[in-house]
This record gives sequence, C-alpha cells and structure tokens, in this order.
Amino acid sequence: MKRILINLLLMILAFAIQNGIFPLLPFLSASPNLLLILTFSFGFIYGKLPGMLYGLFAGILLDLFYSGPFGFYTLLFINIGYFNGICTDYYYEDYITLPLFLSIANELVYNAYIYLFRFLIRSRMDLLYYTKEIIIPEVIFTMVTTLVIYRFFLSANRRLEELENRRD
Amino acid sequence: METKRGKYILIGLSLFCALLIGITSVRDGFLTPLRTGVGYFLIPIQSGVNRAGTAIYNEINNYGRLREAMSENEALRAQVDNLIEENTRLQSEQFELQRLRELFELDQEYLQYEKIGARVIAKDSGDWFQVFRIDKGSRDGIRVDANVIAGGGLVGIVTDVGANYATVRSIVDDVSRVSGMAQQSGDSCIVAGDLTLFTEGRLRITNITRDGDVKDGDRIVTSNISSKFLPGILIGYATDITTDPTRLTKSGFLVPAAQFDSLQEVLVITQLKADLEEEEATEEE
Repeated sequence: MKRILINLLLMILAFAIQNGIFPLLPFLSASPNLLLILTFSFGFIYGKLPGMLYGLFAGILLDLFYSGPFGFYTLLFINIGYFNGICTDYYYEDYITLPLFLSIANELVYNAYIYLFRFLIRSRMDLLYYTKEIIIPEVIFTMVTTLVIYRFFLSANRRLEELENRRD
Repeated sequence: METKRGKYILIGLSLFCALLIGITSVRDGFLTPLRTGVGYFLIPIQSGVNRAGTAIYNEINNYGRLREAMSENEALRAQVDNLIEENTRLQSEQFELQRLRELFELDQEYLQYEKIGARVIAKDSGDWFQVFRIDKGSRDGIRVDANVIAGGGLVGIVTDVGANYATVRSIVDDVSRVSGMAQQSGDSCIVAGDLTLFTEGRLRITNITRDGDVKDGDRIVTSNISSKFLPGILIGYATDITTDPTRLTKSGFLVPAAQFDSLQEVLVITQLKADLEEEEATEEE
C-alpha cells in the first residue's frame, strides 16, 4: 500500500519537475522524458498489469495538463506500461542493458506517436528535420537519464519491498 | 489466466481512450470539472516546484547578472540622455497628432484592454508543443480564448481554463494561426507557427495578396477580422518577404516581438474579442 502511494507521489514529482524545472534551464536544448522512464521502468520491474496501471496514471496526468483530445497520452502510456511488462521475464537485478535498450525503443515509439497523430495528420512531412532537431536529442537525454533514474527507482522499490516483507 | 485478464483490461482501456479521444475532439467542455478538480491538487505542487527551481536558478544567475548589469548601466545612462531628448520631440509631435485627430474627428484611439498579470508555472518540456500553464484561472476572470501578451507583443491564447490555472498555446506552436495585418498598410496576412522555424525564433507569414504592401521590417499586428484575437496587438516584424512561385500571393517570415525562451510573467487580457463584437452589435442597434 505504502509502496503504491510512494510510487504515485514519485510520478507527480517527476511530472512537476519535468514541466516546472526543465524548461527553466536554457542550456538544455532537449530534456529527458521522466514520465516515460518511470512508466517503462515500473512495467519492466513489476509486470504487465501494474505497468499498465502506472501508465494509466502517468497518461491521465499528461492529458490533464494539455488541452485537446483527452486520452491521447493515456492511450500511449497504458500500452507502454503493458508491453514493457512483457519484458519482465528477462528482468533481473543490476541488469542495465535491457532497460537502456527499452528506453530508446520507448522514446522512438513515443515520438513517432506524436509525430504521426499530431503532425503528419496535418501534412507536415519534414520528418528528417523533426528527427534531427527533436527526436534524437530527446532520445539521448532520456537514455542518459535512464542510467541514473532506473537504478534509483529500482533500489527505492527494493527497499520498500524489504520494509513491507519485514513487517509481515 | 492472469495474462489473459491483463490483455482484456488493456484492450478495454485502449478502446475507452480511443472513444474518449473521439468524444473530446468534438466536445471538450464536459471534462472541465475534472481538470479543475485535479487542478486544485496539482497546481500548488507545480507552482511550488517551479518556485523552488526558479529561486535556485536565479541565485546562480545573479552574480553573472551583476557584472552584466554594471556595464549595461553605463550604456543605459547614455541612452537615457538620448531618450529624454527624443521624448521631448515626440511629445510635441503627440500634441500635434492629437490636434489633427480632433480635426479629422478620428476616434480610433488605441483600445485600452484590461489586463491581469500571471506567472508561468509549467511548460511542456518536450520540444513538440509550445504550450505553457499560468497560475491564474477562471477565478481571476480568465476565460478560454483570452489573449496573452508579454514584452509588448502577443504571446498566445488561452485554450483551457480551470479555477486556478489556465493553459496557454503560444503563437510559436505548430498549430497556431493568427490573422494579422501590416500596421502601415492594413494589408492582411496569416501568421503561423512552424516547428521547423522554432529554433531560428521565427514564424511564417503567408497569404499576403500579390500586390499587398508588406515590406521587410513592417510591424505586423493582430487584424480586425480575427475572430479570437483583439485588434491592434503587436505580433512582430516582417522579414524576408518574397513572392510565392504561384505569383498569386506573397509570404515570408516574422520575428516575434515577445521573447519566448525566457517567459516568466505574462499579461492576460481579460476582455475577449467576442465581447468586443457583442458590444459593437448592441451599439449599432
């Protein structure tokens, strides 16, 4: 119970940092997508169903932030949570290669989704420019941040789990 | 069993989202209570985190700013002298203008719009969209379609409003379209945001008629015919105007008057274009 609550708070904090602090830093030409990292890490660690629910929460936060069609981000994030949950079979501790690979794959899916439904749909064809200026910087930033966040997220969850088990 | 259930939930939720997207694309209104409700909880957090971040960032910047400010101070002193001189000249010209206006019975005064100040508390951190959130909402009289300005230029328009926050889409966003006109000639044009021009800090100007008089350096203001933007707000300056290959229209670029990379405070005009039109309609009756 406590673990769920802390994970939800972590997500809200990530959301606030992502929207309130990253834009303040002018030297960041791109910024890591914290919500995406948390969602796929959670799915990867805990499996499909928890991943999906965590993605649901992240998606709703984003959808409430943006005006426009509600559910746009939720749809993407529940799927990200779910499909990263499939990889949980290959999960074992201190294994960073797969999460890194997942972060790249998820970033590409995320950006392709936005491009497809928000830009291509209005016949903006300049994919090469968008890839170079937006997608690649964000993928790199997210990948580097995954290195830090994933380990932190993992150890935090492990510790919480231990605390819970000890009480039982 | 477990995996099957997960799959069904996923499919169910996905369908539900798709349905919701469909409904909200057509009608956005009925979710406002939800957004507002969450806003009560979320906005203080966003606001707090933003405030803490700004404080730390400003502290670090202050030292560097001090040195800059000292050299700037000297330059400004010289400029003040120049301006005082210029001001006197302009003042006499202003009196002349007033006399002439009265003479021609022109009552086209610049409309003094009612404005309130707001802080930018959150921005989209990704580079796809240029939207941000401010800490004032319907409680302070902000409504959807309210115009937002900063630094003397148009910044954007309110797309969504809750009790204590409002979401603003800036004019540099890729979907933004503003109906504008050249201040000198009154020829109309469309000012459109374009993500591929964003890093250059420019917007696109299109739909100038072939013999429309828009030159490089002209002031582009919001047009009278716009349905959402109040007339006469400075958008920016035209540059690189060329005739299109079709030879029917001209297009070019616009350098916005507002600084978009360092927005911290903005002014929201509480009066809407729709109100203005209503007033005019009642006056005519």
